[in-house]
Amino acid sequence: MTRHTRIVMSVVYWAFVIYLFVPLALMVTMGFKDSKFIGFPIRAWTFDWYATVMQDTQVLAVFGYSMAIAVSTTVLSLIIGTWMATFLGPNMFRGKAIVFALACLPAVIPGIISAIALRIFARLIDIEPGMLAIILGHTVHNVPFVALVVMARLSTQPKSHIEAARDLGADSIVAFFRVTLPYLKPALIGAGIFCMLLSFDDFVRAFFLGGYQPTLPVLIFAKLRSGMSPEINAISTIVLIMTAILGLWAERSMRRLNKGS
Amino acid sequence: MAHAESDTADLGKASAPGGRMNFWGALLQNGAYQTLSNTLFKTQRRQFVMLASLPLLWIVFANLGPIVEMFWIGFLDSYPPKVGYEPKLTFANWAAFFQDRVFIVPFFRTLAFSLIFTVITLLITYPVAYFLAKHVKRKNQLLFLLLLLIPFWVGEIVRTYAIMILLGNNGAVNLVLKSLGLIDRPIPFMYTGFSLGVGIIYLTALYMLLPLYSALEKIPDNYLEAAADLGAGAWTRFRRITLPLSKEGIASGCTLVFLISTGYYATPVLLGGPRSTVFAETIAGFFHVAGDQWPMGAAFSSIMLIATLAATGIFLKLMGRGGKGMIR
Repeated sequence: MTRHTRIVMSVVYWAFVIYLFVPLALMVTMGFKDSKFIGFPIRAWTFDWYATVMQDTQVLAVFGYSMAIAVSTTVLSLIIGTWMATFLGPNMFRGKAIVFALACLPAVIPGIISAIALRIFARLIDIEPGMLAIILGHTVHNVPFVALVVMARLSTQPKSHIEAARDLGADSIVAFFRVTLPYLKPALIGAGIFCMLLSFDDFVRAFFLGGYQPTLPVLIFAKLRSGMSPEINAISTIVLIMTAILGLWAERSMRRLNKGS
Repeated sequence: MAHAESDTADLGKASAPGGRMNFWGALLQNGAYQTLSNTLFKTQRRQFVMLASLPLLWIVFANLGPIVEMFWIGFLDSYPPKVGYEPKLTFANWAAFFQDRVFIVPFFRTLAFSLIFTVITLLITYPVAYFLAKHVKRKNQLLFLLLLLIPFWVGEIVRTYAIMILLGNNGAVNLVLKSLGLIDRPIPFMYTGFSLGVGIIYLTALYMLLPLYSALEKIPDNYLEAAADLGAGAWTRFRRITLPLSKEGIASGCTLVFLISTGYYATPVLLGGPRSTVFAETIAGFFHVAGDQWPMGAAFSSIMLIATLAATGIFLKLMGRGGKGMIR
C-alpha cells in the first residue's frame, strides 16, 4: 500500500467521523440557544431549556414510562434469548438451519412491517395498545440479538466445565446456573445494555403498539411535528448523554468478554 | 469418575467449606427436586425436548404468529371484527395495490431509494472499514471503532432531528454556504429525497461498516504481500484479493442496510416531502389517517415483506454465484 492511498484513507475516515458527530454537536449546541427559534446564527446562550425540561412533569413521566418498558423488555429478552442460545448453540438436529433462520427473523424484518404485524397480532391475542403490547413488540425484536451474543460466548466455553460439574453431582439445571451462567455473565451484561438501548430508542414499534401514553421517542416525534423548539434539543441531549454512557459501559463489558475467551 | 459414592453433595460442599450446604447443594439433596429432575432429564432425548420447548414455542408464537396473522387479515374484507358482521374472504385488498398509482409509485420509490442508499452507504463505508482493518494499529482499532459507534447508540428520532438542524433553511450547511458567499438565499435541502437520503445513510451506516470491518480484518496481510511480490499493482490486488475476500461482509452489510432502510417510518415523515413519500407512510395511513382499513394495510405490508425478502434472496444468490467466478 502506497503512502498516498494511506493518507487518502485516513482523510476519508476522519471525514466520516466528522459526518457522524457534526449533526449531533449542532443539535446539542442548539439546546443552549436563548430563543424559541431553531436555526443559526446563535446570538445569546442560556440553560433555561434544561430547567424547563426538568420541571416538565409530562416529560418526566414519559421518561419513567420508557424506562419501565426498557427494563421489562431487557429482563424478558435475556431469559428467552439465553434459553434460545443454549438450545440452538450446542445442539445438532435436523432442520436446525431453518429454526435458526426463523429465530433471527424479527431482527431483519423491516421495522414498519414488524410493527404492523405486531399491532394486528396484539388485537388477536387481545392485548390493548399500551405498555404490555410495546414490551411484547420490543422483546420479539430483541431476542435474536441476545441469542446471537450469547451463542457466540457459549461457543467458547470449554466442554470440561459442564463435565466437571456433572461429575460433582450437578444435574443439568444446577450445572447451568452454577457453571454456564457465570461464564455467560459478560455477554449477558453486554446484551442486556444493548436491549435497553434498542428498546429505549425504538420509535416505530412504540408508535404503533402504544396507547395514549407516549414513550420518549414518540413524544419527541409528536413535539417535532408541531414545531421545533430548543426544549426538544434539551431532552434529546439528555437522552444522548445517557445512551452514550450506557453504550460505553456495554462496550467495556463486551471487551472484557473478548479478552476472557 | 472414580469416587461416585458421595458425589451428590460435593458441589454444595465445595463452595461452602464451613460444612453447611449452600442453596444448590440443598436443592440437589431435596427428594422432591430429585424426582422432578429425574423425570425431566432422565434421557438425552427428554433433556433435548425440555431445552427445545420454550424456544420453539416462542418462535412459533412470537416470530411466526404475527406474520401469519398479517397475511390472513389481508384476505378479509373487514377487520377488526364488527358486531353482527361475519368477515368474508376476498382478494380485493391485494388487487387494490396493482390498480392505483398512489400505491405503486411509493412502493417502487421505496425499493429504488433503499437500493440507492445501500450502494452509497457501501461506497462511503468501504474505505473507512478498510482503513480501520488494515491501516490502524491493532491495539488502536477498538478505540477508532468506538469513536464511530458512539453516534449509533443514539436513537432514530434524535439523529433524524440532528439532520433536520443540519439541513434546514436556517441550518448549518446553509449558514456556512451563505457566509462563504456561495449562495444568497438558502438552498431548500429539506423535505426532498436528498434530505431523506442523508438521514437514512446517517442512520444505517453502522450496519454496513461492522460486517465490512470484520470481513476485511480477517484477510491476512501476507496475501497482499505475495500478490505484490508477484507483480500485481494496487488495483489488481484490490480486485483479485481484497474485494473477493470481503464479499461476505459486503453481502451481509448490503442485506442489512437494504432491509432496515425500507422499514423506517419516522425519518421519511420528518425529512421527506410530498414527492418522496415512501411505502411505510402509505401503510401507516391505513392504520391512522384514513380510518382503520386494517385488511388493506395488512395486505400491503405482506406485499412489501415478500418483495424485500425476495430482493435480498436474489441478491444473496447472485453474490454467491458471482463470488465463485471472482476467485480464480
